[in-house]
Amino acid sequence: MREPGQDQGVSTRDVDAMLGELVALRREVADQRTQAVAADRQLERYAADLRATFVAERERTQALQRSYMATVRALSNAVEARDAYTGKHAERVAAYGLEIARAAGSEVAGHPEIEFGFLLHDIGKVAIPDAILYKPEPLSVEERRLMERHPVIGCEILRDIYFLGEAKAVVRSHHERWDGTGYPDSLRGTEIPLAARVFAVADTLDALTTDRPYRRASPPAEARTIIVQDSGSHFDPDIVTAFQTIDEGVLERIRREER
Amino acid sequence: MTTSPPRTRSVVVVDDSEAIRHLILATLEDVGGFELFEASDGEEALELARRVRPALVLLDIHMPRLDGVEACRRLRALPETRGARIVMLTGTGIDQEEAARAAGADLFLTKPFSPLDLLRLVSELSAQDEPGEDPPDQSRFPRP
Repeated sequence: MREPGQDQGVSTRDVDAMLGELVALRREVADQRTQAVAADRQLERYAADLRATFVAERERTQALQRSYMATVRALSNAVEARDAYTGKHAERVAAYGLEIARAAGSEVAGHPEIEFGFLLHDIGKVAIPDAILYKPEPLSVEERRLMERHPVIGCEILRDIYFLGEAKAVVRSHHERWDGTGYPDSLRGTEIPLAARVFAVADTLDALTTDRPYRRASPPAEARTIIVQDSGSHFDPDIVTAFQTIDEGVLERIRREER
Repeated sequence: MTTSPPRTRSVVVVDDSEAIRHLILATLEDVGGFELFEASDGEEALELARRVRPALVLLDIHMPRLDGVEACRRLRALPETRGARIVMLTGTGIDQEEAARAAGADLFLTKPFSPLDLLRLVSELSAQDEPGEDPPDQSRFPRP
């Protein structure tokens, strides 16, 4: 404020007032800077906690995935332990199945639970009596009827395991055939879940290329020929086409359990 | 103490930094079903706390007008607010913590505080049945 009658010059009081304002302003700026720095450091702490949470979450997910896999393998081993001749059948079929799914470029390959389905496909066999499962002679009608319930039983056993997802479809439909003559639901063509169509080729491949009590193993090339012959009847032709693009060496390594 | 009608449990966040206040409010949104209130200094905090009777007060130690230590002492003296859980937001330094403890704060979060610690603290508090009645238990939330 200027004194009345003082039109020219700046009074001492004016200077003091201006200086006072300046000091206050500088203090305000300094305070704001301090607050901004504090807020910045606080945000960094948020980022650090977010990072830690993310890492912990990822580790938990991986640990969970490993325990899912271990659980599935334990179940699969329980089925295999009963069966003297199939050896590591489920492991090999799972490996073949993943290769075929990849070759088919199908989104099936990207679903980890599909491997679970491949591993557990025969879990329903735990409910089949030894006398039927290992009967060397042909099965009676009644025995066959019971035997062919194993996909349904398997699906029932796994019903409440939510993380198996699509894997349950593999278990239920792994004996369906492209031409509709399979079981248990007589599904035809693309009615059969894709993963189950992939599985059918993998399962036959393993059956043909391993020794069984009733016949010797076929060489891989011969197995391939047999599968191609059954394209369109037993198997999805697109899956067979994809299967044929797989390098012989890859399949051989799986057969020798070198994976 | 007079009996009051059932009310929503509330949290009062007191900090002179608007940025920090907003961070805390955003962090605690929808956590534990608390109603959230904010104040920018001790005076405002006291007035607000008498009105809303918070279960929890997050109190910055450094504030203009009335700082956190004095505000804490007065909250402890008021019948409406003495039962509140008071968490002091301190800088580093044992002297600040001792001053806050002497004023009656239950717990400390050292700035910059861990938002995860804050969330743990508030969700633990929300798990307790009756707000403001239990004696504060330091062991439940050890200082980081």
